[in-house]
Amino acid sequence: MRSPKDHETSQLHVDAGLQPERTDLAWIRTTLALVVVGAIFLRWVPHYGWFAGALVAAATMISITINMTRKHRFHRGSLGIRNERMPADLISTFFVASSVVVLAAAGVFTVLFLPLQ
Amino acid sequence: MPKAEPSRETGEGSGSGRRRFETRILAGGTEPDPRFTLANERTFLAWIRTSLAMLAGGIAVEAFTTDIFAPDIRKTIAVLLLSLALIIGGGSFFRWLNIERAMRHKAPLPLPAIAPVLAAGGAIVALVFIAFVLMRQA
Repeated sequence: MRSPKDHETSQLHVDAGLQPERTDLAWIRTTLALVVVGAIFLRWVPHYGWFAGALVAAATMISITINMTRKHRFHRGSLGIRNERMPADLISTFFVASSVVVLAAAGVFTVLFLPLQ
Repeated sequence: MPKAEPSRETGEGSGSGRRRFETRILAGGTEPDPRFTLANERTFLAWIRTSLAMLAGGIAVEAFTTDIFAPDIRKTIAVLLLSLALIIGGGSFFRWLNIERAMRHKAPLPLPAIAPVLAAGGAIVALVFIAFVLMRQA
């Protein structure tokens, strides 16, 4: 089992290009964009009711999930650079892309098929 | 600098079913330089944010233009933007996957198919917008 100190040293890497940090910031910007999308969805709530509320909750939950797994991804990137070996993050990319597709599809469904209240 | 065994260092279960599944999706090959993998991930995220901007635009048109456009016009622009968000969002994953596969086989990187889709889609939405604004003034 790793001690907290081991965990701290495992965050260190030798990449002068600061790749893990830049990637982490890209993820943060993505969560912020998701929060903005959720906030604009709020404007639909008076017109489309609970379904629009569910979209707000979904966008917020996706954003929170990405934020909660940030440390894991940074750790993975740092270790990857240090060991010169890192598997691609298939699950994170698929999760985010499919979430955006579902949000957009739900938006199209709402505009086309749900009656204005 | 301490160094553990590679399987543990990658943070994944060694030889697990998940790893085998991932390798199969990524179409074999060998892992590229981690810097390239991270660069691919950031490019993917930039596409996702572009998709999210389209999504936010579509939602905003539907929410904020009730006093400006007739319902049909409003819905047309909103659905165009939301559909574009859907295509770019889905396409960005396949772009990421195709780049990762090419890098694993040291092949030339594929051209971005979603770039012309974004350019054409953006142009169509802008033209529709201009047409409706002009029609409204006439």
